[in-house]
Amino acid sequence: MDKLYSLTATQMKDLLDKKEVTSVEITKSVIDRIEKTDKDIQAYITYNFEQALEQAKAADEKRAKGEAVADLAGIPVAVKDNMCTKDLRTTAGSKMLGNFVPPYNATVVEKLLADGAVIIGKTTMDEFAMGSSGENSAFQVARNPWDTSRVPGGSSSGSAATVAASQVPLALGSDTGGSIRQPASLCGIVGMKPTYGAVSRYGLIAYGSSLDQIGPMARTVDDTAMLFKAICGRDKMDATSKDYTYTPYGAGVKGMKLGLPKEYFGEGISAEVKEKIYAAVEVLKAQGAEIVEVSLPSTDYALSAYYIIACAEASSNLGRYDGVKYGYTGSKRGSLEEMYLSSRSEGFGEEVQRRILLGAYVLSSGFYDAYYKKAKMLQKAIRKEFEDALKQCDAIITPLSPTTAFRIGEKSDDPVAMWAGDICTVTLNIAGLPGINVPCGFDSNNMPIGFQVLGPKFSETTLLTIAKCYENTVGGFAVKEF
Amino acid sequence: MEIDIKRLAKLGKLSIPEDKIEEFRKKMEDIIQMVENLPDLDTEGSLVDPENTMELRKDEVQPSSPRDEMLKNAPYTAAGCILIPKVVD
Repeated sequence: MDKLYSLTATQMKDLLDKKEVTSVEITKSVIDRIEKTDKDIQAYITYNFEQALEQAKAADEKRAKGEAVADLAGIPVAVKDNMCTKDLRTTAGSKMLGNFVPPYNATVVEKLLADGAVIIGKTTMDEFAMGSSGENSAFQVARNPWDTSRVPGGSSSGSAATVAASQVPLALGSDTGGSIRQPASLCGIVGMKPTYGAVSRYGLIAYGSSLDQIGPMARTVDDTAMLFKAICGRDKMDATSKDYTYTPYGAGVKGMKLGLPKEYFGEGISAEVKEKIYAAVEVLKAQGAEIVEVSLPSTDYALSAYYIIACAEASSNLGRYDGVKYGYTGSKRGSLEEMYLSSRSEGFGEEVQRRILLGAYVLSSGFYDAYYKKAKMLQKAIRKEFEDALKQCDAIITPLSPTTAFRIGEKSDDPVAMWAGDICTVTLNIAGLPGINVPCGFDSNNMPIGFQVLGPKFSETTLLTIAKCYENTVGGFAVKEF
Repeated sequence: MEIDIKRLAKLGKLSIPEDKIEEFRKKMEDIIQMVENLPDLDTEGSLVDPENTMELRKDEVQPSSPRDEMLKNAPYTAAGCILIPKVVD
């Protein structure tokens, strides 16, 4: 069977269960596909092909013996390079961790391995997950498969690009302010940021710990659900993780109330994006959903609150990189201070340094009350607004990215313009809520557009139900021939 | 507003080259301007999210990672220890 690589995870599972293919065959096809296409996509920082074939073989042996296997057994998965993989280099897209080989696995990686999944490699990302385009990677810039002169979005750039280019059916991303959903949207795939606490963060290289969350990326809703099911739940190694059992999603949206917040359809959102999202809402309406208007008045301030909180946490989290215990050590070692300074200044890229400086600024004496404390209070207000709005409906629909994928280099010199693109996604991280990107068409340049469905804490099943209903009604999502 | 990049760099343990300070300042000022538009809010009350209580695991003794493995990533080591520049004379 040719083009095994292009199958969805659900199709792969069916063929594996029926013993029509082996995981080794699938994995070889995926490796071959990556070798042929990755020079154009640059989705991976590190390949794990040898180990992957071993993992595939082990999954095949288990199946051959008739042992019970998990859904993911023998299915290739790509992992964002900020999740620790034992004995496999994990860089977080930074020179700082360019040679870092973790002595342990992140919990999500343990879970994948326990299920018999095949870990194909570590994907390209913005350094320490700080970015919305992939251009802040210290290694390479991943490309958007729909137009390789454009960005795939970020920071889970490689995870989105590899799935969209049908190199692999599934990938893990992480989302602090939109880093799963936005690249999923720009690459025309499904990506879900789960509720804060739904998935363990143990072994995820921290950016903003109160906002970070790991989640699934795939080309179909079924595949997204399959990967989510495998990674969610309480982990004693992450005190913020919660008991959580995934329940399969329902049939449709009939009788559901979907909220449209007017604040998300303002001037900053491109006309083409708005048009496609209103059209998607009509599709759901025709399937029996009731549309209600809701209001989230603090949306305008969300971006400020997000960048203050995220950078404050980042400046503290990144304090651990001192050139001593692991990671890059600087060229100057005359004194301890000199070693710290040279390690950090040579090891961190410019955007990371900028966010550390902003974090230091908003936390410094004299400014703490004006910035950090205010931002935290705003977070409370935003949370309350979402709570109130979600009392009037089952889920809320918004645009996901104000524009489609832009060209590489177009915004890279203007941090404020780049940060402004996160306006529709950061609110969820601030409120700790789940959200999913659902592809809903293309703009005039044939670049993908997506809408966001968000809901109350632990409403992933509802979000997937809505996404699945849309997917079914429109006859599936377009896949880029690449 | 004037942002003192040198002071912030000191707080963040970064050394920004002289010829880059102006560029950093310019971009930081744009950023601060962007994040400054916060509304006046009541800043009384707790900053802790009451719904996000942490569940701690039991404090039980369990094997820790082997020293050799943990030291593999350290840039400079000797005799099972991490080497750093001299701190006291």
